[in-house]
Amino acid sequence: MTGTLAPDAGPPRMTLKQLARHKMTPFAIAIVTPFLLGSIELGFRWQPYAAVVILVVVARLAWTSTPSGEQSYRQDMALWRLPSERSWAAVTVFALLTLPFMFASGFDPPMDFPWATWFTITNTILIFAMGAAAFNLLVGYTGQISLAHVAFLVLGSITGATVGIQWSGTFWLAVPAAGIAGAIIGGIVGLPALRLRGLYLLLATLGVHFVMLLAWREYLLRNFGFVGIRFDKPTIPSWLHWLPFINPDENGEFLINSQFRWYWVIMPITVVTLLFMVNVIRTREGRAFAAVRERDVSASLLGVNVARSKLLAFALSSAIVSMSGAMGSYYLGARGEDSFNINLVLNYAVIIVVGGFSSIQGAIFGSVFFWALPEWFKWAREEVWIIKDIDFLSDHPSEIDLAIKGILVVIILVYKPEGLTGVWKDVKSIPSRLSGRREL
Amino acid sequence: MIVASNYLDFSVNLQLIVGGLALGSIYAIVALGFVLVYKSTDVLNLAHGEFLMLGAYFSVTILVTQQLNFFLGLVIVLAVMAGFGLFIHYGIMRRMVGQSFFAIVLATIGIATIIRAVLLIFYGPAERGRMKVLPQGNFRLSGANIKYVDIIVFLVVALCVLLFFVFFKYTRLGLHIRAVADDLEASAAMGIDPDRVYAMTWATALAMAGLGGLLFGHVTAAIDQNLAAIGLRAFPAAVIGGLSSLGGAIIGGLIVGVIEQLAGGHIGTKWREPVAFGVLFLVLLVRPTGIWGRKDLERV
Repeated sequence: MTGTLAPDAGPPRMTLKQLARHKMTPFAIAIVTPFLLGSIELGFRWQPYAAVVILVVVARLAWTSTPSGEQSYRQDMALWRLPSERSWAAVTVFALLTLPFMFASGFDPPMDFPWATWFTITNTILIFAMGAAAFNLLVGYTGQISLAHVAFLVLGSITGATVGIQWSGTFWLAVPAAGIAGAIIGGIVGLPALRLRGLYLLLATLGVHFVMLLAWREYLLRNFGFVGIRFDKPTIPSWLHWLPFINPDENGEFLINSQFRWYWVIMPITVVTLLFMVNVIRTREGRAFAAVRERDVSASLLGVNVARSKLLAFALSSAIVSMSGAMGSYYLGARGEDSFNINLVLNYAVIIVVGGFSSIQGAIFGSVFFWALPEWFKWAREEVWIIKDIDFLSDHPSEIDLAIKGILVVIILVYKPEGLTGVWKDVKSIPSRLSGRREL
Repeated sequence: MIVASNYLDFSVNLQLIVGGLALGSIYAIVALGFVLVYKSTDVLNLAHGEFLMLGAYFSVTILVTQQLNFFLGLVIVLAVMAGFGLFIHYGIMRRMVGQSFFAIVLATIGIATIIRAVLLIFYGPAERGRMKVLPQGNFRLSGANIKYVDIIVFLVVALCVLLFFVFFKYTRLGLHIRAVADDLEASAAMGIDPDRVYAMTWATALAMAGLGGLLFGHVTAAIDQNLAAIGLRAFPAAVIGGLSSLGGAIIGGLIVGVIEQLAGGHIGTKWREPVAFGVLFLVLLVRPTGIWGRKDLERV
């Protein structure tokens, strides 16, 4: 006010080299992606618009940031703090929005690479990512080693079938109901965690798994018989038919009956739950979870209510897992006696550890690893030259897949304990390493 | 499996208990191998069921397909499994020292997956009938049908357990294994090479799994990929006894075997696992580290 102060110089400008280091990787990808998409024949001309949109979005996200050194509360609270994080988020959003159109385009890649099957796999990956992330929140982030994961998928399916079929509700009622049931039962299952930890907790929750499987068999036999449960395709309620893109069929219904439509149901639910969990981790409760994982006795001395944190983690994780269970059952359309077993628990464990322990991102990477890899192998076995001539591989397809998966799990755990998240970090830091600096 | 209408019928119960002791002694030897690894190397080995399955398939090859002499075959199975144990340590576990508990658990799941795949490739998914190398048939004892195999399994396990205890108590290597399990740093300071001891622990544990597989192949209904589930079913045995106690593992195994057999006979086969885990749960509620387990002190 007095004028004696030097005029505000504003935030320091970045040098060109810094700019290149911080922003060029996502920016380059953002520029290249539309061109790549454009080179694929997609049948309709949205690529130019997409190119413009993504340029604007990325430019907006990347260039409006204050350089590091100046911190505001608002900045601290932002979900994506660094410009690079924001550009990656933009790229992800773009990919999520364009993927279904790419898969639905009927594009036929060279070497008979299966294109349409990837739609099914993408949807499965999304469902698994949701369940695995919730599992990771409990096991990786709160450190409560639990094997009751599939038990809650079962609970979700039971609740879904009860609400959606026996009480003739809808999918939109069944999924939240599964969430509520999961939260309540999860809180109860979490009770032993107050007394047991580590291995003993693992075994107690393994017991929950077996009890829940027994309940599942009894439930199936009493209510549905040996054939198992058939879930009807969900419909969009009629009072929402005015929405764009919703064109009811001749019966006046809009069935979620194709992979394309399922994607638009599953993707938003998964993204919202994942963002929810990312935000939970950033709250006071989330930090309490991490404190409990590191050492619960110390956490209690620091004023963390350990019992509350453990139960909350169990309830939260179980609620989301149950929801993913109900959603998965509706997506698959049928569940039988053999749909759930102990191997599924181990598969989820593999997903979260290969993806990256205690990170939500890791659950996504792990699910992609777990579902995309076998499909990739299948394609390689059938179409790629040299590989397709090896009889041994085509004689034992599923066994080889299993073996490769096991070997990869061991290799990743031995050489890269942070999992695929660690690999991803290394990849992201390649540009900065090339420019001779280490990223902080 | 017989379903009895009368819960107090002596002959039925006797039959179930003898069957339970045979099953329980296999649980005991599985749990013993499991506890041994857990106690001395701090690895929770979820692949132990697969190791046992490997032992079962391997003994099918040696004893049924190749028709070798039983005792020669037994020695070969134990030696090969022990060699595989050395490989597990030097190839994988040694490189994972210092990683988080759960990561190492997952590595054992990876090993389990590889074993499953390899067995599927070499033996195919078709199930085989149980092995019939040990004497078959049964005799009657106060109205109950007792199988010879059950008695033999129980006796063989008892003998082996005795041998293992002599090994732990009176040999130098056994002493080293116990010392490392008790206090790694102190024993390393006394000149014991933990690396070698870990390798020997894995070898011993896998030899036990091999023996368990050979015996279980005589008791189980069929030899197929479901055999590995015994690894999980032996968990309650290990934990009821207390994970830090080798003797506890054996008694826990017998208890769980008898309880499972009684529950299966009187209530229904599908109740076996829930009842076993229910008992485990009750024991853990009263004694969180098992009946004979050592209570860990928590320091901040």
